[in-house]
Amino acid sequence: MKSRDIPVVSAVLEAGADDRVFDSLLLTGPLVIGLVVVFGRSLVTEAVAIAYIAAFVGYTLYRGVRT
Amino acid sequence: MNGAVATVGRDLGRILEALGGLMLISLVVPIVWGEYFALPALLVSALVPLGIGWVLYRRFEGAEAPGRFHGMIVAASGWFSVGIFGSLPFLLIAWSVQLGVPGFSTPAQTATLAAFTEPLNAIFESMSGFTGTGLTMTDNEEVLPRTLQWWRTFSEWVGGVGVIVLTTAILSRPGSGSLTLYESEARSKKIHPSIVSTVRTIWWIFILFTFGSILALWLAGMPIWGAINHGMTGLATGGFSITDNSIATYDSVAIDFVLIPIMLLGSIAFPVHYLILQGDLRNFYSDLQTRWVFGYMGIGSALLWAFLYFAGPYETPFAALRYGLFQFVSAATCTGFQTAVDATNVALGRWPSYAQLTVTFGMFVGGAAGSTAGGIKLIRGLTLVKGIRHQIADVFYPESAVRRLEINNRRLNEEEASREFMEAAIIVVLWSTFLVLGTFLLLLTLPSGEYSLANVLFEVASAQGNVGLSSGITGPDSLPTIGKIAFLFHMWIGRLEIIPVLVMLRTIFKRGGVYR
Repeated sequence: MKSRDIPVVSAVLEAGADDRVFDSLLLTGPLVIGLVVVFGRSLVTEAVAIAYIAAFVGYTLYRGVRT
Repeated sequence: MNGAVATVGRDLGRILEALGGLMLISLVVPIVWGEYFALPALLVSALVPLGIGWVLYRRFEGAEAPGRFHGMIVAASGWFSVGIFGSLPFLLIAWSVQLGVPGFSTPAQTATLAAFTEPLNAIFESMSGFTGTGLTMTDNEEVLPRTLQWWRTFSEWVGGVGVIVLTTAILSRPGSGSLTLYESEARSKKIHPSIVSTVRTIWWIFILFTFGSILALWLAGMPIWGAINHGMTGLATGGFSITDNSIATYDSVAIDFVLIPIMLLGSIAFPVHYLILQGDLRNFYSDLQTRWVFGYMGIGSALLWAFLYFAGPYETPFAALRYGLFQFVSAATCTGFQTAVDATNVALGRWPSYAQLTVTFGMFVGGAAGSTAGGIKLIRGLTLVKGIRHQIADVFYPESAVRRLEINNRRLNEEEASREFMEAAIIVVLWSTFLVLGTFLLLLTLPSGEYSLANVLFEVASAQGNVGLSSGITGPDSLPTIGKIAFLFHMWIGRLEIIPVLVMLRTIFKRGGVYR
């Protein structure tokens, strides 16, 4: 079974900016927020949240510079 | 005309079905928070629009595809219907708590929730949510059941996507900004060729930004439930809060400054976001509206800072910057989050009149077309300014001269320029007319001497611009019934950019024989 065959994943992959990194960020977003809801504020959850935002901002800038 | 009724009825049915679906999804919230008393009310609220929508859709399933005329009527009647039926959770949950639900334990009734036992208050809250306004009939949002806190947030978030879809995919026409954006993208790409794929991509971008906003607010120190709600309403430039004093409740510099880029994201046209995510960062400065989002918000904030520091209520430059910048961005993006309240500093309604009018100007202009922001939209303001300059300069050229008006990298000939200029002028004239009429009506109905003209103008501009900032007039007891009904109308026409509502009303009156 390919990732494209999973209902939610296929909808995400078909829409948007046609970029796997952004698609991955969209798919992992609920997981990161779920992690925060379940485990609350801790060094680990804060690090994960920072990594998420850094990945989004950094990758947007990287694409802009590369294009 | 009967064909038009069928087409509108079919599409309206689909919209009501979708609304019912949103309420069914929201059933998760009372389950997670243990507010089981809200389950029957929310379920009934969902079944009503689902049932009506199902009947309408089945009845008119074979109707013709909608044209632009149908699109406008569907948008106007759809937003109105969603505002009406979206009030059911407020009304039914308030009555559930008031009367008790057999088999479920209910919390004690609060004055805030009791306000929603009045249908007009419930409809006001729902219309405020779905139009992304944020004016509220609650005294203290903190004591609302989590289910209703969520429903308010969710209505603004969905309404935010709705208006982007409306302007970028359905009502694209000269002067609306959407067509302007598309045509200016000859140097780059359109979002997607079809409406369906465009809508999917708008959702994709909106959801991605929502996740980022929620996590950024949480990192700034907001509790996660607050971050979820304020992240959603901030990006949707709606402005509903779950706290008593809006964002001032947190009294946090970090949260204030994290919310500013979130509100700005919501006020930039989503086709531009798409291009930026594609790597075309030039759009930050090459796109006229985006350039002006930063330009005029910078100028407006600087002006407000000067008013608040040199002649106003704040003693330090930083305090004036913090509250001035936040409130101008909140107003001009049409979000309506408030940090200037008496609990922590000086309430907006007690700022000097010229500071209030500066904020009112921000609400009047609004953000970019194709975004979630309200107001007349930047592209219309810029089209008017450039058009007026073009007309005046015309005097200095010989009659045989061929001149073109350049807007957003598009060179318009005389006919195109005239059409876009006229459309922008019509919207601005209509907007201003309704603003003046609403101000006049409110002045007549409010207790004399209690509010200044600046307060009243501010409040009406806030309702019509879908902003939600308040000078203290809006409330379940402070706003008279006529004022509430007038604000429902202001919020509705403001969200739909007036013309679709007028088209719908003309069609109804003409059909009813009132207007010929």
